[in-house]
Amino acid sequence: MDPITFSIIRHRLFRIVDEAVITLKHVSGSAITNEGHDLMVSLYRADGSLLMGGVGFLHHLTSAAEACKATIRRFGDDIAEGDVFLLNDPYTAALHTSDIYLVAPIHYRGELVAWSACFVHVYDIGATNPGGFCPDAPDIFTEGFSSPGIRLVSGGRVNQDVMDTLLNMVRSPEMVALDMSSMIACNNVARERMLALIEKYGHETVDEACRTLIEQSETLLRERLRELPDGSWRSRQYIDVNGEVFKVNLTMTKRDDGLVFDFSGSSPQAPHAINCTKWASLGGLFAPLFPLLCYDITWNEGVVRPIEMIAPEGSIVNCTRPAPVSVATVGAIQSVNNAACAAIGKMLDASEKYAGEATAVWHANHFAVFMFGRNQHGGEAIGILTETFAGSGGARNFADGIDVGGEIPNPISRMANVETLETIFPLRYLFRRRMTDSGGPGRYRGGAGMEIGLTPHDAPDGGLHYVVSGKGADFPMSEGLAGGYPGAPNSYIWVKNNEAGTDPRNADAGFGQSVDDLPGEQERISWGVFPLMGDDVLYLRWNGGGGYGDPLDREPGSVLEDCRAGVVSRETAARVYGVAIDEDLAAFDAAATEARRRALAAARVPAEAAE
Amino acid sequence: MNGEKTYVIATDVGGTCTDTVVFAAGEPVHIGKALSTPPDFANGVLDSIRSAADSMGFGLEDLLKRTGLFTHGSTVVDNALLTRDGARTGLITTEGFEDTLLVTRGAYGRWAGLAEEGLKHPVKTDRAPSLVPAERIRGIPERVDYKGAVIRELDEEAAEAAIRHLVEAMGVEAIAICFLWSCYNPDHERRVRDIAAAVAPGAYVTISSDIAPVPGEYERTSTTVINAYAGRIAYDYITDLEALLAEKGYGGPLLVMQGYGGLLPAEESSRRAVGMIECGPAAGVIGARFLGGAMGDPDVIAADMGGTTFKVGVIQGGELEFAREPLVDRYHYVAPKIEVVSIGAGGGSIVSLEPRTNVPRVGPKSAGARPGPVCYGLGGVEPTLTDVMTLIGYMDPEIFLGGAMRLDVDAARAAFEAKIARPMGMAVNEAAFGIFRVAAAQIADLIHEITVERGLDPRDFVLHAFGGSCPLLAGVFGRELSVKRIVVPYTAAVNCAFGLVSADVVHEFAHTTMRPVPTPAEEINALYAPMVERARDQLGAEGFAEDDIALQWSADLRYRRQVHEVTTPVRAATPLDEAGLEALVSDFEALYERKYGKGSAYRGAGIEMTMFRLSARGRMTRPEIPAEPLAGEDARAARRGRRDVFVEAEGGLAPADIYDFAALAPGNLVAGPAVIHTPITTIVVQAAQTARMDPWRNIVIAFD
Repeated sequence: MDPITFSIIRHRLFRIVDEAVITLKHVSGSAITNEGHDLMVSLYRADGSLLMGGVGFLHHLTSAAEACKATIRRFGDDIAEGDVFLLNDPYTAALHTSDIYLVAPIHYRGELVAWSACFVHVYDIGATNPGGFCPDAPDIFTEGFSSPGIRLVSGGRVNQDVMDTLLNMVRSPEMVALDMSSMIACNNVARERMLALIEKYGHETVDEACRTLIEQSETLLRERLRELPDGSWRSRQYIDVNGEVFKVNLTMTKRDDGLVFDFSGSSPQAPHAINCTKWASLGGLFAPLFPLLCYDITWNEGVVRPIEMIAPEGSIVNCTRPAPVSVATVGAIQSVNNAACAAIGKMLDASEKYAGEATAVWHANHFAVFMFGRNQHGGEAIGILTETFAGSGGARNFADGIDVGGEIPNPISRMANVETLETIFPLRYLFRRRMTDSGGPGRYRGGAGMEIGLTPHDAPDGGLHYVVSGKGADFPMSEGLAGGYPGAPNSYIWVKNNEAGTDPRNADAGFGQSVDDLPGEQERISWGVFPLMGDDVLYLRWNGGGGYGDPLDREPGSVLEDCRAGVVSRETAARVYGVAIDEDLAAFDAAATEARRRALAAARVPAEAAE
Repeated sequence: MNGEKTYVIATDVGGTCTDTVVFAAGEPVHIGKALSTPPDFANGVLDSIRSAADSMGFGLEDLLKRTGLFTHGSTVVDNALLTRDGARTGLITTEGFEDTLLVTRGAYGRWAGLAEEGLKHPVKTDRAPSLVPAERIRGIPERVDYKGAVIRELDEEAAEAAIRHLVEAMGVEAIAICFLWSCYNPDHERRVRDIAAAVAPGAYVTISSDIAPVPGEYERTSTTVINAYAGRIAYDYITDLEALLAEKGYGGPLLVMQGYGGLLPAEESSRRAVGMIECGPAAGVIGARFLGGAMGDPDVIAADMGGTTFKVGVIQGGELEFAREPLVDRYHYVAPKIEVVSIGAGGGSIVSLEPRTNVPRVGPKSAGARPGPVCYGLGGVEPTLTDVMTLIGYMDPEIFLGGAMRLDVDAARAAFEAKIARPMGMAVNEAAFGIFRVAAAQIADLIHEITVERGLDPRDFVLHAFGGSCPLLAGVFGRELSVKRIVVPYTAAVNCAFGLVSADVVHEFAHTTMRPVPTPAEEINALYAPMVERARDQLGAEGFAEDDIALQWSADLRYRRQVHEVTTPVRAATPLDEAGLEALVSDFEALYERKYGKGSAYRGAGIEMTMFRLSARGRMTRPEIPAEPLAGEDARAARRGRRDVFVEAEGGLAPADIYDFAALAPGNLVAGPAVIHTPITTIVVQAAQTARMDPWRNIVIAFD
């Protein structure tokens, strides 16, 4: 087609998604949507296939496509202009019940020509725990309201009975109502702008541009795949829950211009809410695939076509109803994200042309702590600690990972200021800083994660409660690449009754600067609902990104710099990097470093093999 | 007029040019232009004033002696940041939070300011290097809570040791001090500042509670660091310029433009480097507001397109929008700043084809002024948007820039054919029309998005087209957006300098504290009393009479549990009574719904006020530009022939009348398709559009 018109229409489609995102954020006004960017808006073709994916939580792009398709299957001819459908059943299309999809058909002169779809993580979904994350849920029935498809808006009019029924099942219905309004408004903007585009250029031209756009993406990805070496790459992710261990096993095989993600060998579905459904796994592997392989390609159905997924039924990555899934987004889905990122990274690194795109795994492990209780203003406070979105970058083939640099599946997240969090919650931060030795060692170091300490402050009920569904405390999850080490694991410690906090003889009482400074009994926790009362402290540490290459090859000068910045300890410099650094961090000893590195390298190989 | 100080001079230092306008009652506006001279920008300032003086038949010193007021905007601070030329800076902060600046609220500092290509490609994105590295950041034991209560005493010994370490061991020249919650209790910061003054008198010190007393420690720290980093440069620049002007005979005050669109006396401005960031574009918006007001248009989209960027600001009901999350380079800061959105699209933007797909795009790379477009013949080989304009007949190769430069059309054609048209399989003309349409569509998309962001409809607005490239495209994207009409201002070439003379002296005060609705009015008035007193004292000391002082109260309100805050002006009489306070709250609700959409308000959670602002204005006498008498509609006297140009409605070349701007008289009508050449730009009037010169020599384009 005419490249000029094509270029204009493509640009406008992207802007339509942008404008719809702005509307979503404006109307919603919630912290998780606005600060965490925990949202997605995309456009779909008349058959529900992805047309233009927006930059949001990327594992939703394909599952919202499935939500459109499921709506088409369920409602058939009974889909009218101005309708909006709600779908949040993970066994139909969604990731977990809290992430509600609203999908809306776009009709032009009576004909269904496209769909728009969006999601936000709603304030509450009426599950056992406030906020929707239920680590102890035995099944989907305890995970709140779930619908495989219901008409929320008919011909532009909200079906108030449906809305009221939904709002009747959730905590803080006003906040959920705002979430719903924001998604309806977002779909309205997408429809109006899409219709204006069709009005200006004609339905046939726009339709041809959309078709071309999808074909183009497919051609470009297939070309890229042909340039990459054929082969199989593996990754294994362990998920630890209260001492039990589950596994996501991936073999990614590239042959010619196709890519198969085979999850055979993954654990059977778990009795915990970490499972995910088939659509969630598919979304989970696309989340890194879009930015890692398609950074210069439009994210749409054309990118989906060359990809195949094998996910054994009844496994942790394709669970069967009624297995619980409320923690999926930070459970099996995130492990799928990580495994796909690791396998794609290995494939890219094996290519001369694309090695510069290779990255170790970023921020492999959300800790998703949901606080709930009464705050210092007497109001209700339910909310996620947005630090979980702060993440850490994986090391790249050419550079270190970015300290606290975010994550791949949600490339434009951010965390709230301490001063914001201390206003919302009756809490006081003791510290929030980069965690020493958290970035995976390597020739290029993984980005550091952080550590925080929290204690109640001015809480009318003496404190708060929180839901923690934290895996990755036993095993590191941010895999390294090309010999790089993984990032350090997460840690969750409940410091009970930090009594020194109330000891008047100690001027610095209550201001401990590391977890070791905090007296009181310390308990490692990771799963369930816990109190944070009185002088309790919650200590949290999150993983660094994976490293790239052998740490013995890292420039000693860079290791010295890391020590000065407090990101790497002198001990680790010596033990892992083999760099001997002065006590006052003034310099490194070149001769001692060389000797140490030779010794470390030799120790890796058994003596007999070395001979 | 001997000895009389009749003139007002305004000089704006931009990245490329330094522009001057000179006003006097009853005289036409005089214009001066010179190249900017980084890093010693003051030389360019004098060159520019000299150029204006020349056109008036004066020497530089003659003009300065006759001048009573000098207003000024400069890119000096932006330049120091872009070139990383600031002071060696250290940071003192609360123990436990030393990394706040470095980790930029997570990925925020990595992706902020990136275009789509960057957002989709995280592996290739990094933060801008921190202005203060980790080893120059020191945490001090101290703590204040969210109420402003001290919960851990300041360790003064640790503070002193840290300052000594930074200055003596690390060699810092500037120190930024930012503690948690200092916006509610600045005592610890002030005490550390005093310690620094005692032990390191040579260091330039900024404390956050002075420069940005608002909650949000990352942005506040970043602002404090930027101010410390560029503080000395701004201070030296302003004091040196004052001395230089005095030496050349100028005896009046120097007023410096701020990013929020108000002027500050030199002395105050010299202590607030962050205030000067992007003050040029802000002045441009102020100029557009003034012009819109004079023309009876309170709703204006001000679009400025030069060589490298397209910038747009929105004025609604005469009110300006402030940026919520301003960035300079890629560093966040908080300071009141007029929102001006920009994209990398200008005359020098390079036209290219995407590898493999051959889909054309304009920018974001630019050929800049050098080597510039191919048609300039200065060595540019990549076809640019200006080359496209040449190929579609919009530029007259002979009279470009008033004849100062001849355009090489053949070279432009050859480059465009080889790199764009042929690979696309299109004829040169056809491809060039296409690129023009792509550029216009991208601008329309941008403007649509930023108006949507504010809950506005572009159809309610008048479009002002500034800069060398904007009037070429405005006829097309203005129609696509269905704006009311398009105005190409007479002062379009020196728009920012023009804005400087239409601005007032404005001091911005703010008190950050949380108050629920309802709160008794007297409690709010008590918060304002000290600000009002300070404002009156300050403006009085600057010589403003009571009648010329205007105090505007406004407050930031939000629905509890929601993140959007709306700055709502107080319309009632101040100090407030209960009815006035109620009116403020209902104004907030109306503004909120307008901006964020119907049904976006959640009243059930209640409303809270988070910040109380006072904008203290000292009204300046605005120069009156004399209206010229209207001549007839007949523009034939200015016609300079006819040639084929791209006419959008025709989808191709069509004959158009060519006019000389200088020969047009107020009242003349020009029917499209037509091209009007001015010494600095070219105005294209599309088919079914009519241009009229108004009594102030602005060109007003209406849609038929």
